[in-house]
Amino acid sequence: MLFNSFHFVVFFIVVLALNQTLRRWPLAQKLMLLAASYYFYGQWQWHYLLLVWFSTLVDYAIGLRMPVTRNPRRLVALSVVVNLGFLAIFKYANWLIDTFNGASTALGSAMHVTPIDLLLPVGISFYTFQSLSYTIDVYRRELPPRRNLLDYALAVAFFPQIEAGPIVRAREFLAELDGDQRIDFSDVKRALVLIAFGYVKKVVVADNLAPIADAVFDNPAAHGFWDCLLAVYAFAFQIYCDFSGYTDIAIGCALLLGIRFPPNFNYPYAAQSIQDFWRRWHMTLSRWLRDYLYIPLGGNRKGEARTYANLMITMLLGGLWHGASWNFVIWGGLHGAYLAGERALLSRWRAWNANHPLAAALRVLVTFHLVCLAWVFFRAHDFALARTVLGRLAHPQLSNFDAASHGATAVFVAALFLAQQLGAHLRYKERIAANDALFATALAGAIAAMILFAPAAGAPFIYFQF
Amino acid sequence: MRPTRTRIALTLLAPFALLLAIESLFHTRLWERHAQPASHAGMSVRLKRALHDPVAKRIDFVTLGSSRPEYGIDHAAWATRARERGLVDADLSMPGTHWMTLGVLTRWLAREHQEIRGGIIGMAIQDFSNPGNGAYELGIVQPFRTLADTPWIARHVRFDIHDLSTWGVYSSMAEWRSDLREYLKNPSKRRESIRWYRQNITPQRTLFGNPQSKGDMCAFGLTNLSACDAIEATSDDANAGLRRQCAELRDMANSRPDFEAMLRGADVPASTARARDLVREQLREIAWREPPVVVLMPVPTLWSRDVLGKGQHAWALHVLQPLVDEGRIRVLDATDLFAGDAEECRNFFDLYHQNAAGRERLDAWLKPRLEPMLDAAAARTTASAAARRAPGKSPSPHGMMAR
Repeated sequence: MLFNSFHFVVFFIVVLALNQTLRRWPLAQKLMLLAASYYFYGQWQWHYLLLVWFSTLVDYAIGLRMPVTRNPRRLVALSVVVNLGFLAIFKYANWLIDTFNGASTALGSAMHVTPIDLLLPVGISFYTFQSLSYTIDVYRRELPPRRNLLDYALAVAFFPQIEAGPIVRAREFLAELDGDQRIDFSDVKRALVLIAFGYVKKVVVADNLAPIADAVFDNPAAHGFWDCLLAVYAFAFQIYCDFSGYTDIAIGCALLLGIRFPPNFNYPYAAQSIQDFWRRWHMTLSRWLRDYLYIPLGGNRKGEARTYANLMITMLLGGLWHGASWNFVIWGGLHGAYLAGERALLSRWRAWNANHPLAAALRVLVTFHLVCLAWVFFRAHDFALARTVLGRLAHPQLSNFDAASHGATAVFVAALFLAQQLGAHLRYKERIAANDALFATALAGAIAAMILFAPAAGAPFIYFQF
Repeated sequence: MRPTRTRIALTLLAPFALLLAIESLFHTRLWERHAQPASHAGMSVRLKRALHDPVAKRIDFVTLGSSRPEYGIDHAAWATRARERGLVDADLSMPGTHWMTLGVLTRWLAREHQEIRGGIIGMAIQDFSNPGNGAYELGIVQPFRTLADTPWIARHVRFDIHDLSTWGVYSSMAEWRSDLREYLKNPSKRRESIRWYRQNITPQRTLFGNPQSKGDMCAFGLTNLSACDAIEATSDDANAGLRRQCAELRDMANSRPDFEAMLRGADVPASTARARDLVREQLREIAWREPPVVVLMPVPTLWSRDVLGKGQHAWALHVLQPLVDEGRIRVLDATDLFAGDAEECRNFFDLYHQNAAGRERLDAWLKPRLEPMLDAAAARTTASAAARRAPGKSPSPHGMMAR
């Protein structure tokens, strides 16, 4: 079920009404939310609910056993093996087989492994990380095991987040479930603003930028410098608006149900460094990778060389988390290199961080373009296509700018870039939610924008494939 | 301070009130002046503007219908013939017009041009089997519709919440969305296009001229659907329209309803029955002084041979017959005007439309059948003018309505 479908709108209104009706009966309320979550997930591939259930039951049982066992390390290892094992089978098996077959052919060997006929379960990367966070936190004694299976099952499968995040850790979700779920009118307004902006980002911005990026990335050889440059910018905003639109809707829906999710995006294209970018982009994944991978690897506590190595490992795995393709590995590797390079550079060249508006603007522009460069590998179907796009960008033909064919896109992406910079300072979502007149105008404007500018055919969210 | 219930309700309802205000702006024709002139809606906007121009201050007769009568009827000749008799005959036919547009347009004319006495409704026999031409007809009616037309429109185009193209049934904002989206892609190109149309397509030309067409279909052979093989074998842009028409014809050829069976008493499919009822309802509603003349436009032989359903011609006549019997319409059936003609292809420039030669042939056929209507109208005009000049005698309204 897509957030941008009428099916979801009807579904959510029913769930919201039931949630309000049942709020005096917490058990019934939770049962209803769990049933609704399974119904929501089952709309994609109902048989993959078995995976969700299995993962839930295994981690629940491991959590219960952890405090009473002599060797909790074994149990947490089992949880990691089971969860990452599923991920490996469903997400990476065919990629590994293809890589093996390719290497085998290149070496002149006749060995060939037949790919497995499997469909990637929607959201597996997200709920796997959520579930893993539970067993690791219990192992670290940062969270007591949850005895109530219903609570834990809901933490894994809660419908606003199960398919594409944000990656809410079990301890955060369970704390919300235990806390006061009452919401006041200002929460309702905040949630509606988030939902409305989320839909506008997805339907109005991302879905209209998609054809511009698709046309070039499907056949970059047929396009010139300006087409490629604008397609890269278009993709940068497409993926941002697609993903942050989804999480805005998810956070807004959860808030209406009384659950407060952590933020997932904070105007990432206003970042002044790559480190700053990762504090603003897919923040819940960044936190997860930091707390469950980078820090356990040693973080920055084991010397310069290890810090660079840890950064690179974390970003490479972060890239691989997105999908089974060498392009994602390159994307992650580039970000790892950026982070390492930035760290090395800033320790020697402090003038780069000068506290001057022009210096800040330059830092934003450089960061944005480095991020865009990495997006080329993220978006291109293969390395050859990415190289073609980069080849076009390496030979600027500035005079070939054609106002008729490039003007509208150029203005659109420039406006979006400006909106990011202003948004980071103005915090307009909060201001709108706080003012009734602004709230009404923004909501009406958002609905009108969707009616006027939504493409005829809705597209699924990009992050569903991860 | 906690907001009161009233304030909460007002705050939650305000966005919808504002949305209605935005919708009203589109209803009040806000966007029409920026509409793409070459689009269906833009064409209607142009026609509406022409109908408000001083050249159309008084209109006596009109021609309504789709692109078939637009290309197939000699509007310039009829305008001249009317002018010679002190009358005004205007062409209001537009590509894509079907019964829904006819309903909305005739109601608009009844409000804005009450002086219209009569006219021609040009339709082809295939226009009697479906209630509408699809959602794109919503664009054609948009500039002429009022809120009161909505039920009529909804009976022709089924609203589907999952299909944005049908939202125009209820929302003007939704109907203009594709036009607005296209405008934003290149505003200067749109402005240039609007300027060009304003300078070159005058109200005079819109209402009293003939559209241009080039060539004929003889290079492709026009006797059966296999003519499409030759057209589809070509790849040049000049034949893109023909290739599209071929695809449409092949689609139609795959589902050829048996109208003969329906005429013998077999079950009539719901959409066909709806079309029949809507056509009759629409024609009964037209309150011109002269009964409308329904001209069944010529159809190339390949249609009747390979595309149309069995008995489709008889079905069209069956739909119209009760109205003829009631004296509400006249029917002039030119469907087979070119049938059996060895050089039929000389009369069409594509698979649907007549060229100048075909137009001339149809005009020769129509002239003796329609000219008496003009003569009678002219005579009545003269008589009523004389009566007005004679003191104490005014023309009786019954006399004006006499047929």
